[in-house]
Amino acid sequence: MATVRTTPSTTERPKLRRRPLSPVDKLQRTLGHVLIVMLALFCLIPFAWVVLSSIDANAGPNVQWPAASFDNFVQFFTNSGTPRLLANSLIIAITATAVNLALGLAGGYALARFRFRGRRVFMFGILLIRVVPAPATIVALYLIMVNIGLSNTLIGLIIVEAAFQLPVTLWLLAGTISAVPIELEEAAWMDGNSRLQGMWRIVLPLVGPGLGAAAMLSFLNVWGDFLTPLVLLQSTDLYPLSIGLFRAFSEYNQVDWGLLAASAVVYLAPPAVLYLFVRKHLLKSSLGGAVKG
Amino acid sequence: MTSTLEAPAPAADLRPRPVRRGPRNGPLILLLLGPSMLLIAAFIVLPALYSVYLSMTNTQLTGFAARDPQFVGLDNFTYLLTNGDFLSSLGQTATFTLFSAIIGQTVLGMVAAILLSRPWLRGKGVFGAAVLLPMIVPEVVASLAWASVLSNNSEGTLNRLTSLFGADSTDWLQVAPLTAIIVVNIWRGVAFAMIMFQAALEDVPAELIEAARIDGARAVQVFRHVTLPLIRGPVFLYLLLTTISTVSVFGLVYFLTQGGPGGQTRIAAIYIYERALQFSQIGIGSAASIILLVIVLVLGMVYVRLAKVEV
Repeated sequence: MATVRTTPSTTERPKLRRRPLSPVDKLQRTLGHVLIVMLALFCLIPFAWVVLSSIDANAGPNVQWPAASFDNFVQFFTNSGTPRLLANSLIIAITATAVNLALGLAGGYALARFRFRGRRVFMFGILLIRVVPAPATIVALYLIMVNIGLSNTLIGLIIVEAAFQLPVTLWLLAGTISAVPIELEEAAWMDGNSRLQGMWRIVLPLVGPGLGAAAMLSFLNVWGDFLTPLVLLQSTDLYPLSIGLFRAFSEYNQVDWGLLAASAVVYLAPPAVLYLFVRKHLLKSSLGGAVKG
Repeated sequence: MTSTLEAPAPAADLRPRPVRRGPRNGPLILLLLGPSMLLIAAFIVLPALYSVYLSMTNTQLTGFAARDPQFVGLDNFTYLLTNGDFLSSLGQTATFTLFSAIIGQTVLGMVAAILLSRPWLRGKGVFGAAVLLPMIVPEVVASLAWASVLSNNSEGTLNRLTSLFGADSTDWLQVAPLTAIIVVNIWRGVAFAMIMFQAALEDVPAELIEAARIDGARAVQVFRHVTLPLIRGPVFLYLLLTTISTVSVFGLVYFLTQGGPGGQTRIAAIYIYERALQFSQIGIGSAASIILLVIVLVLGMVYVRLAKVEV
C-alpha cells in the first residue's frame, strides 16, 4: 500500500512490482504483521484455560501448566450425568438438522422450480424473519409449547430448532436448486421418471455443496443454542451440553474444573471438526461439466 | 452470535425458471412447501403475534393473574417506558451494541480483512483460522473461556497479564462488567465482520486502487475515498446483520454476569428473560420484547436507507 514513491529507482519509471522495498513499505509490512499477530493472540489466549485444564489432572479455575492426563475425558464418558448431556445434544442437533434439511429440500425445490402466487412475498417474508431477535419471541413460544404439551420434551425442542433454521435453509437451497439446469430434470422426466423421482435422482445428487452448507449452518446453530433449551427444558436428564455446562459452572462451591474443561472440549469439537471438513468441500462445485456431457 | 455464518444468498440466483405452470402443480407445491410453511407459521410467526397480544395483558405464570389474565391495553408499555430499570437496560443494550458490534467488530474485522488481503502477509491460513475460532465455538464454551480470563483471582489470565505491567489484581466482572462483556462480544464477532469484508474487498477492482495510487493518494486516502464507497452496500448489510445478532445476544452475557452486578449488564434480552420467566410477569416481558423488536425494525430500515440497497 505504499504511496510515497521515493524509490531509489534504477530506471526513470519504477515498476510497481519488483522494486526494492522502501523504508515506508518495510515499516508498513512489519506493522501489519505485528497487528495480525496481536489479533490472533487476542483470539486464541482465552482458549488456553479450556484446552490446558481439560488434560490437567489437578485442574483449577486458572491457567496452569497441566499435569498431563486424560482422566477428565475418561471421567466425562464414564460419569453418570455427562454422557447423557452429549447424547441429548447429539439427538437434538442431528434430528433437528435432518428434519430441517428434508423440509428445506422440498420447500426449496418448490420455491426454485415453480412460479406461484405469493412466492415473492414468502421469500421476502422469511428473509425478514431474521430481523426478529430470538429473545423477543421466546416467552410467547414457551407459553405455546406449554399449551400444546410439548414443553420439556426433546421432540418439542427438536421441532422448534428445525423451524428456527428453516428460513436460512430454504433460501440457501432454493438458490442452489435454481442453479441445477432444468434440462437435466427434463431428461429424467422423458425417461419416465415422475417429478419426485426426478428430484430424488437428479437434483439431490447435484446440490451437495448447498446441502452441505445448509446442514452445517443448521447443525452449528442448533448445537450451540443456549436460550431455547434453557427456556423449553426443565428436566435435568433432557439437558444438552450447553445447559449442562452452564449448570455445572454455576455450582460455585463444587465445580470440577477438569471435568468442566473436558466437557467444553467435547462440546466444541464437533463444530470445529465440521467447520474444517466442510470448508474444504464447500469450495468444490460438483456441477461442473454436468451439462456438457 | 448464533447465526454468524449466514450470509444471505444473492437474490439474482433465485429467479424462477420458466417452468410449466399448470393447475396440476398446486397440490404438488402445497405438498412440498406446506410443511415448511406450517412450521414457520407455528413456531416463528405465531409466537411473534402472540407476544403482541400478551404485551397487552397482565398474564403471569403463577399467582392470581395466572388463572384469569386481563386485557390491560397499553399499561405495560407506559410502565416500561417510565421504568428506570428498563430504560437503563435499553441504554446498556445500545452501549453494548454500539461499542462491541458497530465499532469494535467492524474496525477489527476490517483491519483483519485488509491485512489478510495483502499479498505480502505471511501465514494467512493460520491467522485466518485463529480469528475464526471464537466464532465457531458454542457460546457457552466462549463464555467459559472468558470466565477464566476475567477471573477475580490473582492467577486469572488477564490479572497475570496486567501484573506484568505492575498492576494489582482486579475483579473485572465487578469493576467493569459492561466493558468486559463488550470486549468478549468483540472477540466473538471479529470473524464474521472479517468474512463479510473479505468478500466485499475482493469485488473492488484493483485498477481503481492502482489508479488512485498513481495519482499520489496515500493508503488511508485510497481506503477512505475509493475502497470504502465501493463497499458501502456490503458494509451496511453487515451492520444490519451484526446489530440484529448483537441485540439477540443472551447466553454470552447471561453465563458471565447473569445481568449483574446490580443490573449493570442487564441488556434487553436478559431483562426480558428475568421479567417473564424468573419473575413470571409475562405481560411486561412481552411488552419489553415488542419495544425491542420495534427498535430493531426501525434500525433495520435506517440501514437499508443508508445503504441505498433495494430490498
